[in-house]
Amino acid sequence: MLTFAILIPLLAAGTLAVAPLGETVSRWTATGAAALSLLALVVVWISGGEGFRAVAEVPWVPELGIAWRVGVDGMSLALALMSALLFVVATAWPIDLHNARAYYAWMAFLAGVSIGLFVTLDLIVFYVFFDLSLVGMYFLIGRWGHGEAQHAALKFFVYTLAGSLLILIGIIVLALNMPTLTFDMRAMIDSPPLAAAGLVPGLVFLAFVIGFGIKTPIFPFHTWLPPAHVNAPGPASAILAGVLLKMGTYGLIRIPLQMMPETFARWALPLGIVGVISILWGSIVAFAQDNMKRRIAYTSVNHMGYTVLGIAVAGSALGSEAARQLALTGAVVEMIAHGLITGALFLIAGAVWQRTADYHLPNFGGLAGPAPRLTGAATLAAFASLGLPGLAGFVAELHIFLGAFAVYPWLAAIGLLGILITAALFLRMLRQMFFGDLPKERADFTDLAGVEVALLTALLALIVLIGVWPVWLLGLIDAGLLIPVSGAGG
Amino acid sequence: MIWALAYLPVLAGLGVWSMGGSRMRVGAVGAVGALATVMLAVMAGGESGRASWSEALVLQAALPPLAQAVAITVPAILLAITIFAASHEEVPGLPRLVGLMLVFTGGMELVVIAADLVTLLIGWEIVGACSWALIGHKWRSQAPGLSANFAFVLTRAGDLGLFLAVMATFAATGSASYDALGALQGGPLVLAAFGILLAAVSKAGQVPFAPWLFRAMDGPTSVSALLHSATMVAAGAYILARLQPQLSAAPGFGETAMAVGLGTAILGGVVALRQTHAKKLLAGSTSAQMGLMIATVGAGYPGVAVLHLIVHAATKAALFCAAGIRHRVTGSFDLREMGLARTVPFAAALTAIAALSLASVPPLSGGWTKEEMIKAIEHAGVFWTACAILAGGLSAAYATYFAVAVAAFGTGETRDGRTLPGEMGGLALLSGATLLMSALWLPAVHEAAASWVGADLPQGSRFWLIASLTAVALGVLAGLHVARSGQEAPAREWLGLPALYQHGSIRPFHALAQAAARFDDGVIDVIPSGAAALAGILSRTLSRADDDIIDGLASGTAERATKGTGRMWRGAIGAVVAGTSALASIGAGLGERLSDLIPGGSGRLAGTAGADLRRLQTGLAHHYYAFIMAGFALAVALLILGG
Repeated sequence: MLTFAILIPLLAAGTLAVAPLGETVSRWTATGAAALSLLALVVVWISGGEGFRAVAEVPWVPELGIAWRVGVDGMSLALALMSALLFVVATAWPIDLHNARAYYAWMAFLAGVSIGLFVTLDLIVFYVFFDLSLVGMYFLIGRWGHGEAQHAALKFFVYTLAGSLLILIGIIVLALNMPTLTFDMRAMIDSPPLAAAGLVPGLVFLAFVIGFGIKTPIFPFHTWLPPAHVNAPGPASAILAGVLLKMGTYGLIRIPLQMMPETFARWALPLGIVGVISILWGSIVAFAQDNMKRRIAYTSVNHMGYTVLGIAVAGSALGSEAARQLALTGAVVEMIAHGLITGALFLIAGAVWQRTADYHLPNFGGLAGPAPRLTGAATLAAFASLGLPGLAGFVAELHIFLGAFAVYPWLAAIGLLGILITAALFLRMLRQMFFGDLPKERADFTDLAGVEVALLTALLALIVLIGVWPVWLLGLIDAGLLIPVSGAGG
Repeated sequence: MIWALAYLPVLAGLGVWSMGGSRMRVGAVGAVGALATVMLAVMAGGESGRASWSEALVLQAALPPLAQAVAITVPAILLAITIFAASHEEVPGLPRLVGLMLVFTGGMELVVIAADLVTLLIGWEIVGACSWALIGHKWRSQAPGLSANFAFVLTRAGDLGLFLAVMATFAATGSASYDALGALQGGPLVLAAFGILLAAVSKAGQVPFAPWLFRAMDGPTSVSALLHSATMVAAGAYILARLQPQLSAAPGFGETAMAVGLGTAILGGVVALRQTHAKKLLAGSTSAQMGLMIATVGAGYPGVAVLHLIVHAATKAALFCAAGIRHRVTGSFDLREMGLARTVPFAAALTAIAALSLASVPPLSGGWTKEEMIKAIEHAGVFWTACAILAGGLSAAYATYFAVAVAAFGTGETRDGRTLPGEMGGLALLSGATLLMSALWLPAVHEAAASWVGADLPQGSRFWLIASLTAVALGVLAGLHVARSGQEAPAREWLGLPALYQHGSIRPFHALAQAAARFDDGVIDVIPSGAAALAGILSRTLSRADDDIIDGLASGTAERATKGTGRMWRGAIGAVVAGTSALASIGAGLGERLSDLIPGGSGRLAGTAGADLRRLQTGLAHHYYAFIMAGFALAVALLILGG
């Protein structure tokens, strides 16, 4: 079933690359493929189960222990579901394009590899999907972006490729240190290699942190993110922020936290500090941005900082088991919430660009008049992003802070400042965009149309649902199973 | 049913907003929503509820008598204000205004029924967000948006205290319920108590957070009437009263609450007395009155504070309605211009009742609750009592000033002399409630009321009672004098506190953010460029070494070969980029494999990629190569070490 979820979009991508289809057909082919993927994942979700489920394995290079292994636990299923939903929405999002067929082909390709990354259980396949996702995004930004799109795309590509090489090194070292050579994630989680203290585990850990840290991105490896976002088309930005960034934090949990728990525990505090710096730095720098997309992009650094803080706490082996579970639950919910919220914000930014070809906030104002629906959606998404209770971001941040305070009280207390600064920066953005005088040149600004409203409503409804009634999501994630037991003693 | 107290007004509010309609319809639906909430609050007494998010996090609600009294008050005040708003406010945006006021009330009810800190936090922040939307209601002008943001950010700064309290309680006990809060000791208790105090004083508009209340005046009058009486600011005083049994064990809690409360009561009184703007006078007075309540909680009498909160809610809402009517009639909020008596005498009479109650003139209800607060504070010591009496005298002064300025006769222009039934009905309900509650002076009534909310009524000495009443009398005289003197508007708002925020915090933060952004672009971004440059140097060195060695072996043929290899390499790198370096690393380039396996269809796929790639080639291919080389060097080193 999971293999279908990967292959359907990839087949759609292949079809779109070969068959001479029109724009509308291309769009609905890609959307339909993502929707089928989503459906397959929902089937897996409904089937239920504990631990890794829907597992399938086909040998590929047996002598090296590489196989096509798929299977999901609560975390990866939740992330895959969110990714698939976001791909449906982003692909269906109306946008003016040249060469639309190729665009939708790349979009479907990216959907397949992204979902594949979350559901694979083989490290080499994981790595392949990790790199293929860079390729897909590289072309989406470079060809359909605006402004200095090519430069931004190249920077994104080279920077994250450098990170992925570090990850590859780490993966190979981990595999070589297994009793029998294998790249099976489950085996590595069950009997973590490199348990001993020493230089090598430390270096491998560092390689993973930098590699995934670039992708996440965490301070100080985040500078590829703003140009990539600013120049990317809206839906690609939504995917970049909503899905691709999660690959970094997902990797941090799956590999260093679960496969090297003892090394992780040793380095948890520095990682937590990096998380807090990301929280503050992301929000402070975001506050100063006059470009709407840059501002949202930097808040991603802030939000991923919360996630990294939560992950660091979870792997700290300090405090109570319950506190670490809360922090990890929060980190995973933050990934989901950030995907939905920032996805919605970037789609909104895309809608604004579509109408005005401008992101400069001081050029706007008073849009609440001609565009009340856009205003409502943006306000709800912005409040969700600043962590208002009743919306998804709050559930995540509450869990992270509750867990973090029990382990690193000072870090949690300092990190709290982040929610104040994000409040200031989002309210400022809302005021600049939607309230006050309407500039003359914006008088003919049109409100969101039917399809846009429907797609945004889907995302926002989920954000409200998670905020008000998160039981189902918290139960699905089941963070208790994610934290390695052997780490508890260290 | 208890949760319905929170979600019923929210749903009703969203309904009113989305349906829209005429004044009549919006007002009627809104009023029905408020009335239904009142009835729910009456019926839900003593109930409790639980909603689990997970094993660790359980939202809890409860409605003990103290909470129930407030839970009834809040929608009751909303009912009167809805009737007022439906006839007073502008028609465009009216459904949004009335709807959001209902949502606002729902958030406040969640604060009231909360029985654990997470539920409290949820309601607390929803109240803040609704106040943002309501203050910024007139979004077409610049000022309300700025003020709304200022108010939200300043109160959220205080909310961080509540976050801290939740975290401290949870870390210490594994639960966030009020019971767990009561079981805290030592450091966590101090953190929780002062965190909640911080959050409460920021919401209640105490010093140093008071200025946001002035900025909140950019909202419509109905919003001010609700925000200053039964919601938002009242949340601060209420939560301290509700949690006093749990928090009072923290060392220094009572003293700090009294210091902040009485300090604000006196400063707020001075600020109010110096105003020439009707709504700002009331805003200063709100801070002062909340200060008295917080001081009473600090002195150990939360029930008395809640009784005053209820009386004050009706009184203050009435006065804001009066200020609104006066603004419609005269077109101005300036206290130096004419009063209501000549044009709308009935409104003037209603205003006078509420204003004299705020002045705590016996036998009006505000007089009784204020004297009870003075008696409560007596138990804390002479100094605090003297401060409270001074604050009481000041409130008599500004309330008299307001009464004279707004209600009394005057000569001047009447812009709109109509009597609107809705406005008058809302005002009459509120002033009538104030008048009705004056029955609290009767022992039978106040004993019943006190036992209902579970308040201990303090015993006081005759000396301080006389001193307090004298202060009120002097205050009334001072108020009359100020009203006649026609004072100038103060040069600095709120004693210069807003300027302090502007220069001490807002501007430095803007500068910091700008500097950080420049640093981010200029310095941190050097990391990738630096790494790229370094790798570039490495690769050039390698290729030079390569050239040298090959040149050393053979000249003519080797040179051609090098050129060929260079071209081939570039192509290979393209394949690596388009495919994956992973596959390349385990033995083969993806591009080659693909084209070998499926020459037909996949050729076209690869062609697309290749075409895209060509469009994107920017001559930086050697950077990828350099990275890959550096990566492999590192990999080899690690494999040697790790193997």
